[in-house]
Amino acid sequence: MGLGVSPAVAEPLIVEAALDRPVFQPVLDAFSAEYPQITLDYRERSTLEADRRARDAENPPDVVISSAMPWQLALSNEGRAQALDSVEAQQWPAWAKWRNEVFGFTFEPVVMAYRLELASHMPPPTTHRDLLDLLTDYRDWLRGRVVTYSPRDSGVGYTLLQQDARYTPRIWDLVAAMGAANVDLAQDTQAMLEGLSDGRYWLGYNLLGSYAMVWAQSHPDIIVQVPNDYSLVLMRMAFVHRDAPHPQAARRFVDFLLSQRGQRILAGRTPLFSVRDDVIGPYTAQRLRDQVGDHLYPIPINATLLAFVDPLRRQAFLRRWDRELNILSE
Amino acid sequence: MNARPVSLKRRLALWLTAIVAGLGTLLLIEAYTSAHKAADRALDGQLAAASLTMAESLQWPDGQPTLEMPASALQILATQWQERVFYWLQADNGRTITRNAELPISAAMRDAASHHPVFYDADLDGVPIRLHGREIDSAGWDTQEPVQLWVGHTRRGRDLLAGELFEKSASRFAAMVLITAALLMIAVRALLAPLERLRRALRDRHPDDVEPLTLEVPREMREWVDTLNRLLADQRDRRATLLRFIADASHQLKTPLAGLQSTSELALASPDPAAWRRALNEVHDSASRTSRLAGQMLSLTRLRHLGPDQERQPLALDALLRAVVMEWADRQESRDHDLGLALTCAQPAWVAGEAWALHELLNNLIDNACRYTPHGSQITVALRDLTPDRLELSIEDDGPGVEAAARERLTRPFERGQRQDTEGSGLGLAIVDSIARRHGSPLELSAVSPHGLRLSLTLVRLAPPEADSDRHTPDPGERA
Repeated sequence: MGLGVSPAVAEPLIVEAALDRPVFQPVLDAFSAEYPQITLDYRERSTLEADRRARDAENPPDVVISSAMPWQLALSNEGRAQALDSVEAQQWPAWAKWRNEVFGFTFEPVVMAYRLELASHMPPPTTHRDLLDLLTDYRDWLRGRVVTYSPRDSGVGYTLLQQDARYTPRIWDLVAAMGAANVDLAQDTQAMLEGLSDGRYWLGYNLLGSYAMVWAQSHPDIIVQVPNDYSLVLMRMAFVHRDAPHPQAARRFVDFLLSQRGQRILAGRTPLFSVRDDVIGPYTAQRLRDQVGDHLYPIPINATLLAFVDPLRRQAFLRRWDRELNILSE
Repeated sequence: MNARPVSLKRRLALWLTAIVAGLGTLLLIEAYTSAHKAADRALDGQLAAASLTMAESLQWPDGQPTLEMPASALQILATQWQERVFYWLQADNGRTITRNAELPISAAMRDAASHHPVFYDADLDGVPIRLHGREIDSAGWDTQEPVQLWVGHTRRGRDLLAGELFEKSASRFAAMVLITAALLMIAVRALLAPLERLRRALRDRHPDDVEPLTLEVPREMREWVDTLNRLLADQRDRRATLLRFIADASHQLKTPLAGLQSTSELALASPDPAAWRRALNEVHDSASRTSRLAGQMLSLTRLRHLGPDQERQPLALDALLRAVVMEWADRQESRDHDLGLALTCAQPAWVAGEAWALHELLNNLIDNACRYTPHGSQITVALRDLTPDRLELSIEDDGPGVEAAARERLTRPFERGQRQDTEGSGLGLAIVDSIARRHGSPLELSAVSPHGLRLSLTLVRLAPPEADSDRHTPDPGERA
């Protein structure tokens, strides 16, 4: 490949990412193999931390990756992202990008997970309604054994619940039922999966399917269920920072994520699911659709997401969350 | 160095280019601004719609304004061009209720928005944006403070839309220019075709061809062709006159020369010295007549071929008349006639004239009168005032007169009023007419009752020269 920089000169690249390194490692390795002159500084962060780093005017990162879609979009809306005009960027499907600045490059279904032993006590849930029924009928059994994202402490959790609420107001019944079951609130999927394996939790709601599926492979007592009525799909979003100190390397990195080569590694060696239809592997959006049917609902990448980060709306939403959570306990 | 001749086509092309360039610049400027206006109009509607949608979600739960940002409003605001979107909801006192950017809103803009919805072009961190602001007031159970809602977005869609519109107008204009240019080229070629035909017709003409042009030309060129034809007609007349004069002159000279030849031959054949002497006398008389004829032909030719004269000077015509008539009264030729002078004009009568020419004119007139009237005829030379500034010079006799039809031709060379009984050359009146014309009026001939001929011409009277108070009477025959 024609590289503008001689391999002798090391070119640093700072990536602030809300994406577990072990999951993403194959992609990073492939990138390093293709661009040996680029020294990758991959910093694993929480979504809110990644957002904070992206706003740091003193030390801006080169690339920001996060699953907190509204925040990523807000950063672009504030003008902190730069548009890419590479072929990969131009050809990226329109529903998975915004302004040619932010690109959703993974396709991660949001799932429920439960312990195998739950199935011996009650019918395991396959839909949101099942879950509500379960929480109502087996409230005493499940008390303290249910876990979900904390919308206050996790950007992903907040986004998922907002999106749930956009589809149906009955989600609040579910919130109320979970509240009545003394739901535990976690900051990330990893914590929920660990709790399930410990036996602390029997049932988890709104886990990231990508992590859960990998976990279930090594923990056979955990069952991952893609809801049969509708399943949200979260997309990991990446952009090159406007003030990237190493813009060339940054653009190479994002182009690599979008390229067929990058996506093939995503589809074959990570559970992050490739967005591209021309990529074949166990983890592709197309294959997922074939398996679970057409009730996959990707969170739309457009300006509506910006409403989620409006402080007043967030405040009102969290107020309602608090109220609904305790409504049955009072 | 020859200057390149001007090409009409090139000139037309230059003018058209200038006009199209001038008009085109104006049109394109207009198209550019109106494209931007149209784009602004179209997208300002989206701003207003987004603002309305947000206003619908605005509530005052406990008298305090609050807003649950509707997602659709932001989508409307973003438009299909995925603009960056901005909003700012302010309480009446300027306190921020919610916003996602610090928009450049001045106090003046806030004030204007409190009266009616407003739109502004603004600049956010170097990025041009469009802003829309309005005040929202709502009734309720408690007093509710009004709020101002400002929304805005970047201008990418507007620029693209305006560019598209402008491109369309510009290409329409370019197509129009090209079509017009092509049509004009054809039109110019067609319009210039008659000129080309005329040029060819003139070029192909034989130098001796003075026949009128018969050519189909447009109305605008008709006058040209008419003028050319008049010129050609003049040429034709002049040629005819010249040829006739040469023919007449040759003829006139041939007769006396033939007489000389036969007289001298007869005399040579005779042994009688007395016959020689008679013949010599005859030869002498004939030679002097011929010489006089040649002289007159010369003077007529000279008169006709002189340019416009610059030799006219003020002269007193009455004095000249007196001198000439006095001279003639003493001459042999007028002895048998009653020659009179009638000066009825105000004297002195100043005119601008060539003294030698007027002298010649008078000589010829009197000579003519004496020659063509029977003995005892009365001849009157007169000068009278026609108007205060016009003089009439006339000569009148009570001879047999000339028929009206013949009078017309009298001023032509070698016409003698059908009289072959005199020794005149037939050039006298032609010379008189030429001189009269040089002085501004043709010679007029009329009949006198009961019989006789009157010849007259009019002259313009001059104011008497001031500086030179003693009258200068030019010497007759002297060339002034």
